[in-house]
Amino acid sequence: MKARVTKNRARRELLVEQVVRASRERVWDSWTRPERISRWWGPMGCTTTVYAMDVRPGGVWHYCIRPAPPATDEWWCRAVYEEVTRPSLLVYTDAFSDARGTVKPGTGMPTRVEFAERPSGRTKITIVTRFPTVKDLDAAEERGMVQGFIEMFERLASDLAGGARDG
Amino acid sequence: MSAARALAALSEPTRFRIVEVLRGGPRPVGDIARRLRLRQPQASKHLRVLSEAGVVERRAVAQQRLYGLREDAFRDLDSWLRTFERIWCERMEGLERTLEEERPRKRKAGRSK
Repeated sequence: MKARVTKNRARRELLVEQVVRASRERVWDSWTRPERISRWWGPMGCTTTVYAMDVRPGGVWHYCIRPAPPATDEWWCRAVYEEVTRPSLLVYTDAFSDARGTVKPGTGMPTRVEFAERPSGRTKITIVTRFPTVKDLDAAEERGMVQGFIEMFERLASDLAGGARDG
Repeated sequence: MSAARALAALSEPTRFRIVEVLRGGPRPVGDIARRLRLRQPQASKHLRVLSEAGVVERRAVAQQRLYGLREDAFRDLDSWLRTFERIWCERMEGLERTLEEERPRKRKAGRSK
Protein backbone atom coordinates (compact mmCIF):
# COMPACT_ATOMS: atom_id res chain seq x y z
CA MET A 1 0.00 0.00 0.00
CA LYS A 2 1.37 3.37 -0.94
CA ALA A 3 1.92 5.95 1.77
CA ARG A 4 -0.50 8.84 1.82
CA VAL A 5 1.21 12.18 2.16
CA THR A 6 -0.57 15.41 3.00
CA LYS A 7 1.41 18.61 2.80
CA ASN A 8 0.56 21.74 4.63
CA ARG A 9 3.07 24.18 3.27
CA ALA A 10 1.84 27.12 5.29
CA ARG A 11 2.12 25.15 8.51
CA ARG A 12 5.36 23.64 7.30
CA GLU A 13 4.07 20.18 8.02
CA LEU A 14 4.12 16.88 6.32
CA LEU A 15 1.58 14.23 7.32
CA VAL A 16 2.45 10.70 6.27
CA GLU A 17 -0.02 7.85 6.72
CA GLN A 18 0.67 4.24 5.99
CA VAL A 19 -0.98 0.95 6.86
CA VAL A 20 1.32 -2.06 7.04
CA ARG A 21 0.70 -5.77 7.45
CA ALA A 22 2.42 -6.24 10.77
CA SER A 23 1.57 -5.98 14.44
CA ARG A 24 2.17 -2.79 16.35
CA GLU A 25 4.97 -4.46 18.28
CA ARG A 26 6.81 -5.44 15.13
CA VAL A 27 6.46 -1.99 13.65
CA TRP A 28 7.61 -0.46 16.93
CA ASP A 29 10.69 -2.68 16.91
CA SER A 30 11.41 -1.68 13.33
CA TRP A 31 11.53 1.92 14.51
CA THR A 32 13.39 1.49 17.76
CA ARG A 33 16.09 -1.12 17.20
CA PRO A 34 19.29 -0.13 15.40
CA GLU A 35 19.60 -3.35 13.41
CA ARG A 36 16.00 -3.06 12.27
CA ILE A 37 15.73 0.62 11.41
CA SER A 38 18.95 0.60 9.42
CA ARG A 39 17.32 -1.87 7.03
CA TRP A 40 14.72 0.61 5.80
CA TRP A 41 15.42 4.16 6.97
CA GLY A 42 17.10 4.76 3.65
CA PRO A 43 16.53 6.64 1.41
CA MET A 44 16.73 3.98 -1.24
CA GLY A 45 20.22 3.29 -2.44
CA CYS A 46 21.65 4.72 0.77
CA THR A 47 22.96 2.95 3.83
CA THR A 48 21.97 4.03 7.29
CA THR A 49 24.37 3.28 10.11
CA VAL A 50 23.18 3.77 13.66
CA TYR A 51 25.84 4.88 16.12
CA ALA A 52 23.60 5.43 19.13
CA MET A 53 19.99 4.66 19.85
CA ASP A 54 18.74 5.17 23.35
CA VAL A 55 14.97 5.01 23.09
CA ARG A 56 13.73 6.84 26.16
CA PRO A 57 12.86 10.48 26.84
CA GLY A 58 16.06 12.51 26.54
CA GLY A 59 17.83 9.60 24.85
CA VAL A 60 19.84 10.14 21.67
CA TRP A 61 19.65 8.53 18.27
CA HIS A 62 22.73 9.32 16.22
CA TYR A 63 23.03 8.00 12.70
CA CYS A 64 24.61 8.56 9.35
CA ILE A 65 23.17 8.19 5.88
CA ARG A 66 25.61 7.38 3.09
CA PRO A 67 24.74 7.04 -0.57
CA ALA A 68 26.10 4.07 -2.51
CA PRO A 69 29.69 4.31 -3.72
CA PRO A 70 31.34 6.02 -5.51
CA ALA A 71 29.59 8.93 -3.76
CA THR A 72 31.36 9.83 -0.55
CA ASP A 73 28.71 12.08 1.02
CA GLU A 74 27.78 11.59 4.60
CA TRP A 75 24.63 12.99 6.16
CA TRP A 76 24.84 12.86 9.88
CA CYS A 77 21.74 13.25 12.00
CA ARG A 78 21.06 13.35 15.67
CA ALA A 79 17.63 12.95 17.16
CA VAL A 80 16.54 13.31 20.76
CA TYR A 81 13.52 11.37 21.97
CA GLU A 82 10.90 13.32 23.85
CA GLU A 83 8.06 10.87 24.35
CA VAL A 84 8.34 7.14 24.25
CA THR A 85 5.19 5.09 24.82
CA ARG A 86 5.71 1.58 23.61
CA PRO A 87 4.16 0.48 21.27
CA SER A 88 1.98 3.41 20.33
CA LEU A 89 3.81 6.73 20.35
CA LEU A 90 7.25 8.05 19.55
CA VAL A 91 8.06 11.76 19.60
CA TYR A 92 11.51 13.03 18.75
CA THR A 93 13.29 15.95 17.19
CA ASP A 94 15.57 14.97 14.37
CA ALA A 95 18.33 17.38 13.34
CA PHE A 96 21.35 17.50 11.11
CA SER A 97 24.60 17.13 12.97
CA ASP A 98 28.21 16.25 12.49
CA ALA A 99 29.96 12.96 13.18
CA ARG A 100 30.43 13.92 16.80
CA GLY A 101 26.76 14.62 17.23
CA THR A 102 26.96 18.39 17.36
CA VAL A 103 23.63 19.56 16.01
CA LYS A 104 23.51 22.19 13.25
CA PRO A 105 21.39 25.05 14.58
CA GLY A 106 18.03 25.64 12.99
CA THR A 107 17.69 22.17 11.56
CA GLY A 108 15.52 20.45 14.16
CA MET A 109 12.45 18.73 12.81
CA PRO A 110 9.93 17.76 15.48
CA THR A 111 8.47 14.42 14.51
CA ARG A 112 5.58 12.52 16.00
CA VAL A 113 4.98 8.90 15.06
CA GLU A 114 1.81 7.10 16.11
CA PHE A 115 1.17 3.41 15.76
CA ALA A 116 -2.48 2.35 15.84
CA GLU A 117 -3.88 -1.17 15.69
CA ARG A 118 -5.99 -2.05 12.69
CA PRO A 119 -8.06 -5.19 12.05
CA SER A 120 -6.39 -8.40 10.86
CA GLY A 121 -3.03 -7.70 12.42
CA ARG A 122 -2.35 -4.47 10.60
CA THR A 123 -0.91 -1.25 11.94
CA LYS A 124 -1.56 2.27 10.87
CA ILE A 125 1.47 4.53 11.09
CA THR A 126 0.89 8.28 11.24
CA ILE A 127 3.85 10.59 11.05
CA VAL A 128 3.69 14.34 11.46
CA THR A 129 6.91 16.17 10.89
CA ARG A 130 7.44 19.91 11.04
CA PHE A 131 10.08 22.12 9.54
CA PRO A 132 12.05 24.91 11.20
CA THR A 133 10.27 27.86 12.79
CA VAL A 134 10.98 31.54 12.51
CA LYS A 135 12.91 31.42 15.75
CA ASP A 136 15.17 28.73 14.38
CA LEU A 137 15.64 30.73 11.24
CA ASP A 138 16.47 34.00 12.93
CA ALA A 139 20.09 34.17 11.94
CA ALA A 140 20.88 34.71 8.29
CA GLU A 141 23.49 32.01 8.55
CA GLU A 142 20.83 29.55 9.62
CA ARG A 143 18.56 30.57 6.80
CA GLY A 144 21.43 29.86 4.48
CA MET A 145 21.74 26.49 6.10
CA VAL A 146 18.15 25.61 5.32
CA GLN A 147 18.74 26.67 1.75
CA GLY A 148 21.71 24.34 1.81
CA PHE A 149 19.50 21.48 2.90
CA ILE A 150 17.09 22.13 0.08
CA GLU A 151 19.98 21.80 -2.31
CA MET A 152 21.33 18.78 -0.51
CA PHE A 153 18.01 17.00 -0.68
CA GLU A 154 17.51 17.94 -4.26
CA ARG A 155 20.90 16.53 -5.05
CA LEU A 156 20.07 13.44 -3.07
CA ALA A 157 16.78 13.11 -4.92
CA SER A 158 18.46 13.46 -8.28
CA ASP A 159 21.20 11.01 -7.26
CA LEU A 160 18.47 8.57 -6.49
CA ALA A 161 16.63 9.33 -9.70
CA GLY A 162 19.84 8.75 -11.66
CA GLY A 163 19.28 5.53 -13.53
CA ALA A 164 15.53 5.87 -13.22
CA ARG A 165 13.77 7.43 -16.13
CA ASP A 166 12.30 10.57 -14.76
CA GLY A 167 13.82 13.56 -16.39
CA MET B 1 13.01 33.96 -3.51
CA SER B 2 14.26 31.53 -0.94
CA ALA B 3 12.00 28.96 0.64
CA ALA B 4 13.65 29.70 3.97
CA ARG B 5 12.48 33.33 3.95
CA ALA B 6 9.00 32.32 2.96
CA LEU B 7 8.93 29.75 5.75
CA ALA B 8 10.15 32.30 8.23
CA ALA B 9 7.49 34.82 7.21
CA LEU B 10 4.75 32.21 7.35
CA SER B 11 5.59 30.97 10.80
CA GLU B 12 3.89 33.99 12.37
CA PRO B 13 0.25 32.99 13.01
CA THR B 14 -1.40 36.18 11.74
CA ARG B 15 0.58 36.05 8.53
CA PHE B 16 -0.36 32.43 8.15
CA ARG B 17 -4.03 33.45 8.44
CA ILE B 18 -3.53 36.18 5.86
CA VAL B 19 -2.21 33.58 3.44
CA GLU B 20 -5.22 31.39 4.15
CA VAL B 21 -7.51 34.31 3.32
CA LEU B 22 -5.62 35.03 0.11
CA ARG B 23 -6.07 31.47 -1.07
CA GLY B 24 -9.53 32.57 -2.12
CA GLY B 25 -7.98 35.14 -4.46
CA PRO B 26 -6.39 38.61 -4.30
CA ARG B 27 -7.97 41.15 -1.95
CA PRO B 28 -7.52 44.75 -0.90
CA VAL B 29 -5.88 45.39 2.45
CA GLY B 30 -9.10 46.72 4.02
CA ASP B 31 -10.88 43.50 3.20
CA ILE B 32 -8.08 41.37 4.63
CA ALA B 33 -8.05 43.44 7.83
CA ARG B 34 -11.82 43.14 8.21
CA ARG B 35 -11.87 39.40 7.71
CA LEU B 36 -9.16 38.85 10.30
CA ARG B 37 -10.36 41.61 12.64
CA LEU B 38 -7.08 43.45 12.40
CA ARG B 39 -6.52 47.15 12.31
CA GLN B 40 -5.53 48.20 8.84
CA PRO B 41 -2.01 49.38 9.76
CA GLN B 42 -1.40 45.98 11.38
CA ALA B 43 -2.58 44.18 8.29
CA SER B 44 -0.37 46.41 6.15
CA LYS B 45 2.62 45.62 8.32
CA HIS B 46 2.14 41.90 7.95
CA LEU B 47 1.53 42.25 4.23
CA ARG B 48 4.79 44.13 3.96
CA VAL B 49 6.68 41.28 5.63
CA LEU B 50 4.96 38.76 3.40
CA SER B 51 5.76 40.72 0.31
CA GLU B 52 9.40 41.19 1.33
CA ALA B 53 9.59 37.44 1.75
CA GLY B 54 8.14 37.04 -1.72
CA VAL B 55 5.00 35.30 -0.50
CA VAL B 56 2.52 37.95 -1.65
CA GLU B 57 2.59 40.66 -4.26
CA ARG B 58 0.60 43.81 -4.79
CA ARG B 59 -1.23 44.28 -8.03
CA ALA B 60 -3.24 47.17 -9.33
CA VAL B 61 -6.57 46.01 -10.68
CA ALA B 62 -8.86 48.75 -11.99
CA GLN B 63 -8.69 51.41 -9.24
CA GLN B 64 -7.86 48.93 -6.53
CA ARG B 65 -4.64 47.70 -5.03
CA LEU B 66 -4.96 44.03 -4.37
CA TYR B 67 -2.72 41.67 -2.49
CA GLY B 68 -2.38 38.16 -3.85
CA LEU B 69 -0.22 35.08 -3.36
CA ARG B 70 2.89 34.75 -5.47
CA GLU B 71 3.09 31.40 -7.14
CA ASP B 72 6.90 31.39 -7.16
CA ALA B 73 7.14 31.42 -3.40
CA PHE B 74 5.02 28.33 -3.23
CA ARG B 75 6.96 26.57 -5.91
CA ASP B 76 10.08 26.92 -3.76
CA LEU B 77 8.24 25.76 -0.68
CA ASP B 78 6.84 22.87 -2.65
CA SER B 79 10.23 21.73 -3.78
CA TRP B 80 11.40 21.87 -0.17
CA LEU B 81 8.45 19.78 0.95
CA ARG B 82 8.65 17.46 -2.05
CA THR B 83 12.13 16.33 -1.14
CA PHE B 84 10.83 15.25 2.24
CA GLU B 85 7.73 13.73 0.74
CA ARG B 86 9.88 11.65 -1.53
CA ILE B 87 12.15 10.53 1.25
CA TRP B 88 9.20 9.54 3.45
CA CYS B 89 7.48 7.65 0.65
CA GLU B 90 10.62 5.66 -0.01
CA ARG B 91 11.08 5.10 3.64
CA MET B 92 7.58 3.70 3.98
CA GLU B 93 8.11 1.42 0.99
CA GLY B 94 11.32 0.21 2.57
CA LEU B 95 9.63 -0.40 5.89
CA GLU B 96 6.83 -2.33 4.25
CA ARG B 97 9.31 -4.44 2.31
CA THR B 98 11.34 -5.15 5.42
CA LEU B 99 8.27 -6.11 7.40
CA GLU B 100 7.20 -8.50 4.65
CA GLU B 101 10.64 -10.09 4.58
CA GLU B 102 10.65 -10.53 8.32
CA ARG B 103 7.10 -11.79 8.41
CA PRO B 104 6.83 -14.53 11.02
CA ARG B 105 5.59 -18.03 10.05
CA LYS B 106 4.62 -17.04 6.59
CA ARG B 107 5.84 -19.32 3.88
CA LYS B 108 9.13 -18.02 2.73
CA ALA B 109 8.81 -18.29 -0.99
CA GLY B 110 12.57 -18.31 -1.69
CA ARG B 111 12.26 -14.81 -2.97
CA SER B 112 15.56 -13.58 -4.36
CA LYS B 113 16.64 -10.19 -3.17
